[in-house]
Amino acid sequence: MSNRPVNHARAAERFLEDAPHLKFHDERLWDMRQKRDEQMHMLPEWQELRAEASRIKEHTLSRLPEYLEQFEENAKKNGIHVHWARDGAEHNRIVGEILKDHNARSLIKSKSMVTEECDMRPYLEKRGVTVTETDLGERIQQLDDQLPSHIVVPAVHKLTSDVARIFAKDYKTDPGIRDPHLLAEAQRQAARPVILHADAGMTGANFVVAETGTFVVCTNEGNADLSATVPNLHIATIGIERLVPRMADLGVFIRLLSRSALGSPITQYTSHFRGPQKGGEMHVVLVDNGRSARLGMSDFWTSLKCIRCGACMNTCPVYRRSGGLSYGAVYSGPIGAIIDPTFNERKYSTLPYASTLNGSCTNVCPVKINIHEQLYKWRRVLVQHHEMPFVKREIMHMAGKLMGQPKLYRAAISTTETSLSTLPRFALYNWLNPWGKHRENPHPVKQTFHSWYKANRTNKTSKSGGTQ
Amino acid sequence: MNARETILQALRTNRPSPEQYPLPPVATLGDLDAGRERFITSLKILGGDVLEPQNGETLDAAIARRFPDAKNVCSAVPETNGTMRAETLKTPQDAKDVDIAVVRAAFGIAETGSIFLSEAQLPLNSLAHLAQHIVVLLSPDEITANMHTAYQKRPEFRSAKYGVLMSGPSATADIQGVLIRGAQGVRTLSVWFG
Repeated sequence: MSNRPVNHARAAERFLEDAPHLKFHDERLWDMRQKRDEQMHMLPEWQELRAEASRIKEHTLSRLPEYLEQFEENAKKNGIHVHWARDGAEHNRIVGEILKDHNARSLIKSKSMVTEECDMRPYLEKRGVTVTETDLGERIQQLDDQLPSHIVVPAVHKLTSDVARIFAKDYKTDPGIRDPHLLAEAQRQAARPVILHADAGMTGANFVVAETGTFVVCTNEGNADLSATVPNLHIATIGIERLVPRMADLGVFIRLLSRSALGSPITQYTSHFRGPQKGGEMHVVLVDNGRSARLGMSDFWTSLKCIRCGACMNTCPVYRRSGGLSYGAVYSGPIGAIIDPTFNERKYSTLPYASTLNGSCTNVCPVKINIHEQLYKWRRVLVQHHEMPFVKREIMHMAGKLMGQPKLYRAAISTTETSLSTLPRFALYNWLNPWGKHRENPHPVKQTFHSWYKANRTNKTSKSGGTQ
Repeated sequence: MNARETILQALRTNRPSPEQYPLPPVATLGDLDAGRERFITSLKILGGDVLEPQNGETLDAAIARRFPDAKNVCSAVPETNGTMRAETLKTPQDAKDVDIAVVRAAFGIAETGSIFLSEAQLPLNSLAHLAQHIVVLLSPDEITANMHTAYQKRPEFRSAKYGVLMSGPSATADIQGVLIRGAQGVRTLSVWFG
């Protein structure tokens, strides 16, 4: 995997060139944000729910080893096989072995961001396992060989015509279809036989309850429940931070999750798994993959509170106008920009800059993660670790020198004000300064505040000073 | 050290001080109306229907009226036999040709119009998902107010190995944001009170 920093700005530029896709993407995500607001306004207890959710998550993270052990003990008691994976490679190996033990050649799965982190599909496919994504958006992305561009709506950057083109190739449907209903039906018809003949099913988990050994999957399409109840082998891949202590805690989180994500009161399916079904076998793989290290980062550990609702993405002006794929990472948007650098500081060093720091992400976060503050803190860390592009570093260096010396600064400012009206636009609009793109110069002022102050105020101040 | 010990050890070393983050007491917030009307309003928002008996018709007659083309009506309840009994299904795949599944929910939730099904109500878990449509019998006395009361008071969450809250039929909005009811699971979900 390349270690070169993701060029988010350039990818965003390409996204901006495509007007129809950009317009739909921006409006669709903003619509989700507005539906979320409607739900919020219907619940007077909304802020109390957020505070409660945040407290429960912080508590759980501070006692994560104990709660994981409690979950494991209860899950085992109920007949679940529990596995632990330090990283993606170990996770993939475990899943591969379970499938091999059962002679399983076909796996149907519902959406799971952790399996994306682990890059599981290519691993299994190399070993002769056919992996079929059953979530519609995730399936579209699989057929198009792209990462999900959004953690809740993976194909949100595509239009109906894109889906029609992709399905025409793989499902032999008419590429001219423009009715999403027909395409969704095509997915249903194509998925059914695969589901009925699958050797194994896989899901992720949104929440894990320590006191009962339950894991909970929240979905809308019914594909996760089909994946879990039709094949007799069910494997669940779960990030270790998904824990909550008590069954009663689910009340708080289920009330927040879909309202924050899609603006619906609840997902169509909220499925609780506490043991294998009759005649079946159930495995849980608990995945660390950097989470235990993140817990030790004093400025960033609270990002582990995330319940993957995507509200921060829907509200973010940068995300809405650059698209999830431009982040070049499994997690995109504001939450991605604070999580991704923990996986690879160099590769994702540009992502904390993909923000205006307006704070909207923090305001909508159902578990009160201070996302925009963490974005700012990441910038500081990256500068300290020298993970900053050369030009940006040099400009900041010069600016630092200038601003540290008042006389030099004032001289520079008055020159700038003259230059703004006299110099060609080249001064600001050149390759050294990508900020200038899509932005216009401010109108130059005739006089700086400092020179005005000197001319008008110095005498008056000394006079009034004299009356005292 | 094996993976389990490595992970637990790293978490013990790295975690923030547990004393600073006490567990908050269990919260019961929001509207505590557990009435049938609230349940129906919520159910309809999520795309579910109420199957109302017309002129005192039986459950069988109501199902026949609502689904005139249905061939396989698979019943898991004593109130109707349908065309086949759910107990006769042997493997999860056997439910593939079911047009209508008739089941009884353990309870409903007024806040969200959700109904709860588990292996205690479903002889076969896959029946609730492979069937094209589902008719859910629900006693109005078994409606709880909201998600807090459900998780605190309903014992089923602690006894079921598989328990699903279905809130209306399956749905998707993955293609250009168009909401489609009837995605991959049941196409419709109808509640019959009784």
